[in-house]
Amino acid sequence: MSVTQPDASLPVPRAVTARPTPWPLRTLRVLRTFARRSPMSAFWGVIAVSIVLMAIAAPVLTPYDPTRADFRSMTKAPSEKHWFGTDQIGRDTLSRVIYGSRASLTVAAGAVLLGTTLGAIWGLACGYFGGRFDIFSQRIIEFLQSFPDLILAMAIAMALGAGMGTVIVAIAVTRIPFGGRVIRAVVLSLKELSYVEAARGLGASHMRMMVRHILPQCVAPYLILATTHLGVAIIIEAALGFLGVGIPPPTPTWGNMLADSLNAGLVPPWWLVLFPGAAITLTVLAFNLLGDGIRDALDPRLRGAV
Amino acid sequence: MYSYIIRRLAFGAVTVLGVSIVVFFVLRVLPGDPLVAIFGPEGFTKLTPEQRASYMSQLGLSDPLVVQYFRWIGDILSGSLGHSFFRSESVADMIARRGPLTAEIAALSVILSWVVGIPVAIISALRPNSFSDNLVRFVSILFLAIPGFWLAMLIVLALLFGFGYRAPLANVAFFTDPLANLQIVVGPALVLGLGQAAYIARMARSSLLEVVREDYVRTARAKGLNGRLVIALHALPNALLPVVTLSGILLGFVLAGSIPVERAFGTPGLGYAMYTAVSERDIFVMQNLVFLYSIVFVLLNILVDLTSAWLDPRIRYR
Repeated sequence: MSVTQPDASLPVPRAVTARPTPWPLRTLRVLRTFARRSPMSAFWGVIAVSIVLMAIAAPVLTPYDPTRADFRSMTKAPSEKHWFGTDQIGRDTLSRVIYGSRASLTVAAGAVLLGTTLGAIWGLACGYFGGRFDIFSQRIIEFLQSFPDLILAMAIAMALGAGMGTVIVAIAVTRIPFGGRVIRAVVLSLKELSYVEAARGLGASHMRMMVRHILPQCVAPYLILATTHLGVAIIIEAALGFLGVGIPPPTPTWGNMLADSLNAGLVPPWWLVLFPGAAITLTVLAFNLLGDGIRDALDPRLRGAV
Repeated sequence: MYSYIIRRLAFGAVTVLGVSIVVFFVLRVLPGDPLVAIFGPEGFTKLTPEQRASYMSQLGLSDPLVVQYFRWIGDILSGSLGHSFFRSESVADMIARRGPLTAEIAALSVILSWVVGIPVAIISALRPNSFSDNLVRFVSILFLAIPGFWLAMLIVLALLFGFGYRAPLANVAFFTDPLANLQIVVGPALVLGLGQAAYIARMARSSLLEVVREDYVRTARAKGLNGRLVIALHALPNALLPVVTLSGILLGFVLAGSIPVERAFGTPGLGYAMYTAVSERDIFVMQNLVFLYSIVFVLLNILVDLTSAWLDPRIRYR
């Protein structure tokens, strides 16, 4: 008959007092799970992060000024003083490779953020509204996709003139179709789900439906798409630089450096060829493998789609 | 099948028209003065306004854009494709002279990618997660990350230092001097072929792994066929369908990739011409070459669709 009163000496059930874990701890936990599940991707993720840090800390890390010519040591092979050697006007290759990461990463990140995001928003609208707008947009995306991406980027970069902004725009345009296609497909399948229908039944506006109900589901494919395309963007940037329509010299970029090495004489010195290219390969490899890992962790169904 | 072909071709025609508008828009309408492109920013400021106007009308750039667009379409239809800013040769002649070499490189690279990619994928898919599988996967991921033009430069350097050898620089047709021609072509074809082989091996591996799980493959095993025959006769033909599609699409990207690779090897092909046009800011040549490359790309996509419809009748009815 007597109702058990909660005894003050007993510990209160945890669920009542437990505060939400602060976000740094939550992020750490997510990272730890990721590292346990796929140590390889975590390893390459660490390399990718170190490359980003290297780009940020470039002024501290570099032994020399990347643009200062030194006519006493021109075209010198790698030595104790210059680990990666010097180019034909005596600039230190190591410093230039480190500074080159800045251009590559800025362009790649900018292009992917701009292009993939624009494409994703466009794809969201296409998938959501459908109808004539969708048919018309799909044609435009098809036209954009009828160019191999390097050629389209080359033409745009050439038309707009050299500079970091134009290179970003040129590469971003080639990324739009991918974002558009993938996100549109995701939205098309989401639209049929009953929770979206319920929201519509409750009289939610188009804006609210898209932002509150559909957009959150697009975050995972967007993230996967963005990481995977970083690598592609880096390679296109290097190719543009190599062809002379990238960021103009004297700013060191990996593509510029490779193009410069061809002007160094009949036979390009091996250290001017080896190191910038190795930097490109390592960076692209790191971002690609990190992207694969993120994809497998977030949504393995997208394997092959992105 | 015929109605499918006609539908696909009609779509292709619309796409080509759209592509021509995009090319024209990018190279003519976007901000960026063609005279700045030709003379460079410094040379441009030295020109008087009258000089600018006369240059513009000489090049036909002061007419209304619609007129310019239709003049270009007229040039394309008449087959001359207009002239370069800097050279007397018409763009059509240039394509006729340099095109075959690049086509040869592309064809060789596709053959190479299949010869390397498919066996590697079979080795990989026979024992998933074995040492050889992991090795194959890592190497193919590595080749996706290596820029082709860098590999090309390394090969040129290695041959120079190792053997003091350099491929001939002059353009030679295959039928006049096959040996010299092959020496020019082999390098770019190898680099571009390995790049494609990485994609093909990845795709063929995952597609094989999927097909191997199908019932009919189990039946083939159950009736006592040996494992290799099952793969070769039963699994492979079905697994190759997505690979054919991919290979066609890749070929388009190879055409683009051949631009920096031909630059690195110094190959006198169409890709090198494109590099020259870009570095000289030659808008007319650029416009026609970009258009040509994208037509080839569109045609390849149509060809891929038709091939896969021919290989797999289910696609025709979609």
